[in-house]
Order: sequence, then structure tokens, then C-alpha cells
Amino acid sequence: MAKKLMKGCEAIGEAAIHAGCRLFFGYPITPQNEIPEYMSARLPQVGGMFVQAESEVAASNMLYGASGAGCRVFTSSSSPGISLMMEGVSYMAGAELPVVIVNIMRGGPGLGGILPSQSDYFQATKGGGHGDYRVLVLAPSTVQEAADLVIDAFDLADKYRNPVMVVGDGLIGQMMEPVEFKKTIKPEELAEKPWATTGCAGRERNVINSLYLDPEQLEKHNWDLYAKYQSMAAEVRHEDYNTEGGCDVLIVAYGTVARIAKTAIDQAREKGLKIGLFRPITLYPYPAEALAKAALGAKAVLVAELSTGQMVEDVRAIVAGRRPVAFHGRVGGMVMGPDDLVAEAEKLVAVPA
Amino acid sequence: MPKPIIEVDRCKGCELCINACPEDVLAMSSEINAKGYFYPSVVHPDDCTGCRYCLLVCPDTAIQIENKGKVTTPPEALTGKTFSYCPGCTHGVIHRLVAETIDSLGIRDRTVGIAPVGCSVLAYEFFNCDMQEASHGRAMAVATGIKRGRPDLMVFTYQGDGDLASIGMAETIHAANRGEKITVIFVNNAIYGMTGGQMAPTTMPGQVATTCPTGRDVNLAGWPIRVVELLKTLRTPAYLARVAVHDPKNILNAKKAIRKAFKYQLDGTCFSLVEVLSTCPTNWGYQPHESCEWVEENMVPYYPLGEVKVPEEVPVQVGS
Ligand SMILES: Cc1ncc(C[n+]2csc(CCOP(=O)(O)OP(=O)(O)O)c2C)c(N)n1
Repeated sequence: MAKKLMKGCEAIGEAAIHAGCRLFFGYPITPQNEIPEYMSARLPQVGGMFVQAESEVAASNMLYGASGAGCRVFTSSSSPGISLMMEGVSYMAGAELPVVIVNIMRGGPGLGGILPSQSDYFQATKGGGHGDYRVLVLAPSTVQEAADLVIDAFDLADKYRNPVMVVGDGLIGQMMEPVEFKKTIKPEELAEKPWATTGCAGRERNVINSLYLDPEQLEKHNWDLYAKYQSMAAEVRHEDYNTEGGCDVLIVAYGTVARIAKTAIDQAREKGLKIGLFRPITLYPYPAEALAKAALGAKAVLVAELSTGQMVEDVRAIVAGRRPVAFHGRVGGMVMGPDDLVAEAEKLVAVPA
Repeated sequence: MPKPIIEVDRCKGCELCINACPEDVLAMSSEINAKGYFYPSVVHPDDCTGCRYCLLVCPDTAIQIENKGKVTTPPEALTGKTFSYCPGCTHGVIHRLVAETIDSLGIRDRTVGIAPVGCSVLAYEFFNCDMQEASHGRAMAVATGIKRGRPDLMVFTYQGDGDLASIGMAETIHAANRGEKITVIFVNNAIYGMTGGQMAPTTMPGQVATTCPTGRDVNLAGWPIRVVELLKTLRTPAYLARVAVHDPKNILNAKKAIRKAFKYQLDGTCFSLVEVLSTCPTNWGYQPHESCEWVEENMVPYYPLGEVKVPEEVPVQVGS
């Protein structure tokens, strides 16, 4: 298939269609309106259905219903809307329903702003809604990768019967890059879901539910979910960049910030400083083993995020004091430049470790 | 000769059947059943006319009627599991009417029901079809998701007044306004039953609830919401009706309305919602038969019964 120049948001929408998804429920919010707009035009062309919900709360519960009825289903939103969706996400996690949710993150808290941010890392990777649950979290850093990961997200959601979240920010959503879609799945080719509520003709009736009034059963359900989340470790993905043979400073960054870090690496090379990049692609499960290995190959670690420090907590727990871990963050929609990262890295090697 | 058959161990001793029988065929026994309730027994079998009033009002499907060698059977669309409702609560009557409708339309194997959060949260254990349990107030959003994804399925929600008219009001209005082809069974018992009797959006003026201990003050809490009249103002076609289940005549009317509501969905005509005035003896603090009288005396005057809206074709005029 030939590459096509596409806006991030549109590539995300088209990728969902290539994944065999024909249903979208969502509510407008900047900076991701191009996704529902794209879906509202595209889905009817492919026999699909777009519904503009009355709120993100409603949208997340429409996802619950549709997923429970065995459909591949998709939504997108941005931070304040994702907060409202947490009701449905918690219930879908509890009822073990597959769904793909894209969060084009913007600055918070509250209404915050509309510019790029990574301040929903905790919300995405630690559950986000109530109860002891996790969703699989994927973080693309290019438009192509966003398209690839959205397609994978549907398969992962079905494989684990669990919500999968793809997190990006306004930069990835608005940027145009060449994309191709790695596969095209027809809805009728998708595997049957024997647990779904599709009418009980010829079988026992199915129930989609997250209520367990018996504490022993609820405890068992929680440990079963926990075991499932542990098994997701098989899905960890990351990118090592310029780390062969070790480095002076290892930057740990994802999404947009990882792109900036790559430019910083080139700038630092001219100055004789070797910076490597560890870019987690799955934020949950976190590629912990690979990070530990990369960190031990560096003199110091620098975590860079568009937040006041969220992923850095996980990185510190993984590095566990074996290397110094510094942090550089910009927030509110402000984005660091490559030179900022080089300057931070220089400070780290100047201080005796 | 017709005669009632009492399935003793299903009975919760509410006595509604004894009140309903016009011929005094039944009387409470002095024995208790396996659940610890006194139960009715047939004391004047020869007087039974086979009117089925006892069967109709029984909230626990504990009565069948034998007539000319044939015995009525509980609906196939009920699992047969004993309802979790308090004695005399009419949730059970409404369950039976919905199940009978599903049976009579022959749609059990392509129906998906949605249980709410409220006393009927366990409805997924009682309706013998595919079921989903929704979060509080979102049953119609869940139904929307199912129906839009699988228009071939018959989708119904079963919701209380707190669920549908308070926390879920946005979902209610918008599902109705989009004209979702779903059927909504709205159980208005004027109180939050499950959480222990707090004020509902439908609690009557002056009615005591645990969060309005001196009675609902309409200056503070507003007036009770009349859901079907509110939805009637929407231009989108719909079938909207209000019925009650506090006596046999009303139960028969309720069944007609519920059947019509499902039919409108089956034919792909429109959104349908039936509001059913129901009782909550436990939280109202009345005996079951007094609760039925309370519905007649207090709720029916404020919540008039009948069809409030029937679908009509509204021509779509772009730019009108
Ligand atoms: C988000 C959320 N808020 C509150 C509750 C607590 N809650 C459970 S049932 C209920 C009220 C149910 O009342 P109603 O819908 O009238 O049904 P009934 O129990 O009277 O049949 C409430 C407030 C909940 N489960 N979830």
C-alpha cells in the first residue's frame, strides 16, 4: 500500500477502520476533534456507525454495551473527557470488556489548556478510575506508529479482554506525516466472542457484569484480574536509541518528548557527549527489565516528561538507586527544546556520580 | 373446577393475593414456610372462579392456576430464581409482565436486557436471556451501544427512578431524543429503595424519606419529576405510557402497554418507555396492601395513568 500524508488524528481514525472497527461513540473536545469528525464521515462509507454521545460518561457506557455485545468499538477524547470516561473504563475492566480508547492529552488539572501534555500518565497507567485494575497503555511517537499501535490495540484488547489506551498529545494529533496501514481486517473475519451478549439462541445465556456481592468471589475476581495484568508483561515494547556500548546519559522519554530527545542526541554528539534514549512504547506494562539494562549501561539517567514528574517515579523504582535519576519537565503546554535536554544532560555528567 | 396452586416455598407472605381474591378463596395459614413466612392456603376451593387475580398480583411467581386439567406455568423468560425483593414489593410483578411479553413475542433468544443499579441490580439473575449490568444511571447508554452495534437484537432496560431520572437523566433524555430503538421499563417507586429509603426525584411532596425526614419540601427539593410528560416534549417520535401495578385491573393494563412498547421496537418504529408506578412497602413503612392503596391515593393523582405519546411520522424538513 502506498504511503499517504495524513494528520495524526485522521491516521488514528483510519487505523481503527483498518482494524475492523465499525463503531465510534464520543464527545467533542480539543485537541482531538479531528478523530470524531473523521469517523463521522468515514464510518457510514464502510457500513459503520458513528454516534455523538451526550457526554463522555455516556460515551464510555455506550462502549460498554457495544463491547459487551461483541463489537469492536472505539473512542477518543482528551484529558477532561477521559476523566469522565473513567466510570465506563472501570466497569469495562471489571466486566473484562475489550475497547480501544485514545487520549490526546492536554494540560490540566481542571480545564487546564489545550496544548500538548503528558500529565495523564498516572491516570492511564495506574488504573485511573476506581478499583484495582489496569489498562494496557501504548504511547506512539510518530503518526505511523500511532496508526500501527491503534491497529495492535484492537487485537490486544480482544486478546486480554481488557481496555487498551493509546496516549498521544496535540503534537502527534495535529502533525502530518506519511502513513501506511500495515493490515486491513474485515469485521466479518474477526473471531467470534462466545462470551458476548448476542442473544442466547442455541446456548446458555451470557451475562456481562462487574458486581460480585460475595467478598470471597470478589477477592478471587481481583486476583484473577491481577494475574491477567501480570501476563500482559509479554507485550512490553520499547525502543533503544544510541545506547549500544553504553552512554554518558540515558534519557528516558516517550511520545513527543522522545522525538525531541532524538534531536538532543544529535546535538550532544557534536559536543562529544553521548546521550542514549530509552523510549517505552508500552507504558503499562512498563518495559522494566529493558530499562534496568539500559540504565546500567549509562552513568546517569534523565527522565524528561511534559509533566511535573510522573513516569519518573516508575523509572526511579526500576533503577532502584543504582544510577542517579534526574528529572526535567515542562508543563501547561510548554515543551522543552533539544538544547534544554542537552544542558540537563551536561549538568549530570559534570556532577561526580 | 379452577383452583390456585400455591408454591409455598416461593411465598414471602405479603398477603396481596388474599386481598385480591374477590371470592375469599385464600386465607393465611398458621404454618411458616422454609423462608420463615406465613403463606396463603386455599380454604374455599369451590368458590374459585379462575379469575387469576391472585396470580396477577403475586410478586414472587408463587401462584399458578389449575383449570380443566391445565396448569399455568411461570414465564420461560424468567430463570425461576427467587427474587431478591422485599415482601409485597411490586418489582416482582413488573418482572413477570416483562418476561411474559418476551415469551409471547417469541424473542427471548435475541433479547438483551440491561439491569440498573438499584433494588433491581440483580435483574440479570432473574431474566432468562442475555443480560448486561450497567453502572448507575447509564442503562440507556449501554442499550444504545448494544443496539447501534447489533440492530438485530431486542434491547430493553429496567431502571428505577433514582437511576433513570436523577443520575441518569442526561442518558434518558438523549436516548429518547436520538430515538434509540430500545424499550425502557421505568419503575417509579418514589424512593431510593436499595440504599435505604432516601429521597428520589419522584418522591411525593410531603413524603418522608431518610434524606427529607420532615417530608419533601418542594421549595428546597423541587417538585417530583413527571418523566413521561417531560419526554413527551421532545419532537422525536416515541411511545410513552404510564401504568401501575397495584391491583389486577392496572396490572392487565400495564401488560398491554409493555407489550406495545416491545412491539414498537420489534417493528423498528421508535423509542419506547413505560413508566410503572410501583411500591416500596419497606421504605415507605406500610403493609403491602396499604402500599397499593398509597399508590392509588397519592401517586396516581400526581402521575396520571395512560398513554402520553404514541408515535407518529414526523416529516424531516431540512432547515425547518
Ligand atoms: C455512582 C453511584 N452513585 C451512587 C450509588 C448508590 N446507589 C445505589 S442504588 C441507588 C438508588 C437507587 O434508587 P432507584 O433507582 O430509585 O431504584 P430502587 O432501588 O428504588 O429500585 C444509589 C443512590 C451507586 N451505586 N453508584
